[in-house]
Amino acid sequence: MTDPGPARSKGVSQALAEPTAAPPRGAELVFDQLYRSNRDDVYAYAAGLLRDPAAAEDVTATAFERAYRNRSRFDPKRGNGRAWLFGIARNAALDELRRRGRQAELAADPVDAASPAAVEAVERSERRLVLSAALAKLDGRERELVALKFFAGLSNAEIADVLGISESNAGTKLHRVVTKLREACDGAP
Amino acid sequence: MEPRRDDLDLAAELRALRPKPRPEFAVELDRRAEAGFPRRERSSASLFERVAERLRTTPPRRLLVPAGALAVTAIVIATAIIATSDNSTSPPLSFRAKAPDEIASPVKPAPGGPAGPESQPKHANGAASAGDSSGTQYSEAPPVASEESQSGRAASGVQSSSSNAGGSGPFASHANHREIERAAQIVLGADPADVRGDAAKVFDAVHAADGIVLSSSISDAAVEAGARFDLLIPSGKLGDTLAAFSSIDEVLARHESTQDITAPTIGLGERLRDSRAKIEGLLAQLATTTTDAERTAVEAELRAERARAAALRSRLTDLSRRANLSRVSLRIETGKSSGGSTGGAWGLSDGLHDASRILAIAAGVTVVGLAIAVPLALLLLLLAWLAHRARVRSRREQALSRRV
Repeated sequence: MTDPGPARSKGVSQALAEPTAAPPRGAELVFDQLYRSNRDDVYAYAAGLLRDPAAAEDVTATAFERAYRNRSRFDPKRGNGRAWLFGIARNAALDELRRRGRQAELAADPVDAASPAAVEAVERSERRLVLSAALAKLDGRERELVALKFFAGLSNAEIADVLGISESNAGTKLHRVVTKLREACDGAP
Repeated sequence: MEPRRDDLDLAAELRALRPKPRPEFAVELDRRAEAGFPRRERSSASLFERVAERLRTTPPRRLLVPAGALAVTAIVIATAIIATSDNSTSPPLSFRAKAPDEIASPVKPAPGGPAGPESQPKHANGAASAGDSSGTQYSEAPPVASEESQSGRAASGVQSSSSNAGGSGPFASHANHREIERAAQIVLGADPADVRGDAAKVFDAVHAADGIVLSSSISDAAVEAGARFDLLIPSGKLGDTLAAFSSIDEVLARHESTQDITAPTIGLGERLRDSRAKIEGLLAQLATTTTDAERTAVEAELRAERARAAALRSRLTDLSRRANLSRVSLRIETGKSSGGSTGGAWGLSDGLHDASRILAIAAGVTVVGLAIAVPLALLLLLLAWLAHRARVRSRREQALSRRV
């Protein structure tokens, strides 16, 4: 069962219904806070994993839309809101990967080439260029760990929740990835 | 453990590579969030796709309970329908037409056990007392026949009309002979033109069984054609005679009943034996009397006891007759026979009747089929859906592992 998803990025300005005027209450309030504090993180995770800014926008929009539809099912007492949200985002991102039938190639940089920050970063640091190349050589699981930890800013416990593994296992995997990246950077000419 | 400085630098550099959303995208997403994330236009998404999407996003545990409940409900409803259908469409056991070998009475007469026709009273007035046996139900008296009572019964001269052949059955260990009173009602369906011929066959069958026709009424009028017989049939030949009746024409209804009258028979026999002993004693006493007053008193007592013995003997004879002769009520009806409405020719009403029966049977078969298929389909659907979920999950993980 594949998610047909929205048409590829002309922004997210597809036909919109009239806004609902109801004031946020309860689950709405929780979701509103979750959205405001995680919007950029979810995008960063999706972009880091997919290496396609347009696809990342679609995945981000889809993830928040799904989370909003299912907001009543989330019980803050039973779990971490960020882990729940990133679980949804992860499914949306993996569905996107499945749909494409391939893993996106990280041509040069995980960020949009047009991004001023990226351009500045590349210009400012030769080391970051090497790091970007090293990131491109990571496999999907390793790059997902990097995206969750360093792009989205999740804690090891939250990463463990999202991936369904133990916290110590998440820490070990992260350590291996960081070591791999450092070795790649150190070994670069 | 303190992280290495290299690692801290690397982490900082990785964070610096964090992708940032375009400002236009962020604004648009904020606007959608404020609007409550209205659904984007999905004109191409069919209802099936939307349902599939809904199912896909629903956790399995939320579907397991409703699906299980639905399957159980379907099974319960189907079972109730089938049970109700069975109760309403099947005739009661007693009115179901039986095969000739199925109609044998629960207690079969022993070969030679029942009194033959030669020993049967062949007068109709004797059957009048047997009239109260009609409508008797299946019931059996408690096993009271002891050795002593049996010997007493033999002494009283009571003949056993039937016995428990083979010595089996619930009362076999207590009594070998049971006095069973039987009755039967049978309704035959016939064409009006066949009523007289069927009635003649009834008389033939009764004659062949050495039975008695208590009363008969035959009418071959075009409108109310039919016949009615009250018969006494030797109990030992009841099964064969009923089979003969059933072969005369279509059996519309048939009912047989039995009643165990062993206990009252034995009780009467014992009381008769006691009465006879008392008469013998009184006779002996009479022979030794010396005065007129004494003789008169003993003779009066003797008369009373003889009257009592005669009454007991009469009741015992009546019971014996009820065991030896079974009362059969036979009716020949016209109009209820499946082929009787048009004088035997298959017509439009018969066609409609057959069609409705076929439809009813088809509906029954469909209900039974659905009762089996629906729960199975639900379970298969649930399993398929769970397998699909597992497959999707596996493919998502595989998507991460793929490298182009």
